[in-house]
Amino acid sequence: MTEGMTHVERVMAALTNEKADRLPAYPIACGVNRKLLNGGKGVSYRDWCHDPKLFAQAFIEGQKYFDFDFAIGLMDLSVMAGDLGAHVRMDEENTPFVDKHIVNSLEDYEKFVVPDIKKGRSGVLIEGTRIYSQALAGQVITAGFLEGPLLALSQTAGAERMFLDMFTDPSAIHKALKVITEYDAEMVKAFGTTGCNGLCWDYLWANYSCLGDAEYGEFEEPYATKLNKLTGENGMALAIHNCADLPHLDTQIKKFKPAIYSMAYYPLIPGSPSASEVIEKGYADNCLVAGQIDPQLFIRGTVEKISKVTSDLCHEVKTALCKRNLNARYCIASGCEVPPDINTKLENIKAVVDVTKKEGRLN
Amino acid sequence: MSKDEILNKLSDAVVTGKIEQAKAGAKEALAANMEALTAINEGLVKGMSIVGDRYAAHQVYLPQVLMSAHTMYAGLDILLPAIPKAQAENMSRCTVAVVEGDVHDIGKNIVKTMLTAGGYDCIDLGKDVPIEKIVSTAEKEKVKVVALSTLMTPTMDGMKDVVDGLVESGYRSKVKVCIGGPPTSPAFAKEIGADHRDSNAQDCVAWLKKAV
Repeated sequence: MTEGMTHVERVMAALTNEKADRLPAYPIACGVNRKLLNGGKGVSYRDWCHDPKLFAQAFIEGQKYFDFDFAIGLMDLSVMAGDLGAHVRMDEENTPFVDKHIVNSLEDYEKFVVPDIKKGRSGVLIEGTRIYSQALAGQVITAGFLEGPLLALSQTAGAERMFLDMFTDPSAIHKALKVITEYDAEMVKAFGTTGCNGLCWDYLWANYSCLGDAEYGEFEEPYATKLNKLTGENGMALAIHNCADLPHLDTQIKKFKPAIYSMAYYPLIPGSPSASEVIEKGYADNCLVAGQIDPQLFIRGTVEKISKVTSDLCHEVKTALCKRNLNARYCIASGCEVPPDINTKLENIKAVVDVTKKEGRLN
Repeated sequence: MSKDEILNKLSDAVVTGKIEQAKAGAKEALAANMEALTAINEGLVKGMSIVGDRYAAHQVYLPQVLMSAHTMYAGLDILLPAIPKAQAENMSRCTVAVVEGDVHDIGKNIVKTMLTAGGYDCIDLGKDVPIEKIVSTAEKEKVKVVALSTLMTPTMDGMKDVVDGLVESGYRSKVKVCIGGPPTSPAFAKEIGADHRDSNAQDCVAWLKKAV
């Protein structure tokens, strides 16, 4: 289908609230793209996330196959923890995760050291981002993906341990957070050299199911504020992903002022904000909001089911945008990463993009 | 110190997350010949219920809840061994676990805390637990509830494997299976043959009180 705008034109229109031909589409397909490599036979997760060329090629192939409006290079949420010294369990076909933390006492928070970002998976992430950003330059808006300091600490120390120590010895937590913020700052500067258009931060713990404003304000906001500023200074647009059930929207959208905010929706959780609520409350006025298709549907749903969900979301969003006198300020996306599971159905990802091309059209 | 003062001390200790106060209150309860179950239910559990209500109302958050839970367990460590054997055997047993392949256990730990506060004797199998271990523990320990958690999509099928394992073992009809975790839903619970899915640990305990 010939469309009225290129991917870049459409996203730029959405970002600046100018008229666009349709809503942008970006199911957050990252690790799942590895299934397109090796002539369609795929490569293992382990191989994909250790080789910058394979990492990048997956996004390039994903773009050819699905025709997205963005390419955002999420690897997984154990990259920084692994390079900080935590043990990462690397299954062949599943998302790697930390299975051995490195904080066993309060003193351990003082032992954090910024790793050499040219080594380990931090280096793979940077180099991989460079390759796909250059390959896709001019075709789509590209972004790197980076874990925020509190997320990286929780992955390294263990979330429960970190939360308890926040209560009993906050100074220990701050010592580690300062080092991880330096690590993040080095990563930002490196991403700034790759040619990616934006940098997407995962500030996972801004969630009222986990932390209140006071705790988030103490343990992440000052560090995130510094890193957000640094992101802009290094020539990248600020994007934030937060798949929380009860996200801190006032802080993360109104205060942090990202260009793009990607979020989830949990209909079973009272108070979890739906797409139309987010728009109606003004959060899309100055920010391109993205969401909120249930990632489970990419595994368990049929093409018919996910097409219906996408169509309904397009119409819900267009109605809400119209009421608010906004243009294409909503990107049809998954609420969290499309599961990189071997059972994820590629046809369901394609269906989201194809239905958005039709049902997301704007007059 | 009067009985009420000891109970208030225990409850306040849990609400404010003061472990040493909980230990001292538990010892004082036993020294005053208070029944251990009374000290647990009217002291520690009362405090944990207050914290649970405040958490549900978003008045306190995970750091405070986890600290309160640790405080409750510190008191329980002293009081549980003092429960007469006959009384202990009357407590409903349950097992909680994060299914194999997943190591995210905060949700499971909160459910365990609320189940304990709800009067259950909880067998915590931890995280990344093999299916066979969950099934065999349920049968061997004669539990009335199996509570399963996962944060991740790829490990959801492990919940189905547990239900199937309980069916194969012949123990399914004797146990309620509850599941939780962000990727789960009531529809998924129904699909795999679980009895219940909840987003909230306290609501789950309330459901179990009616169902078991």
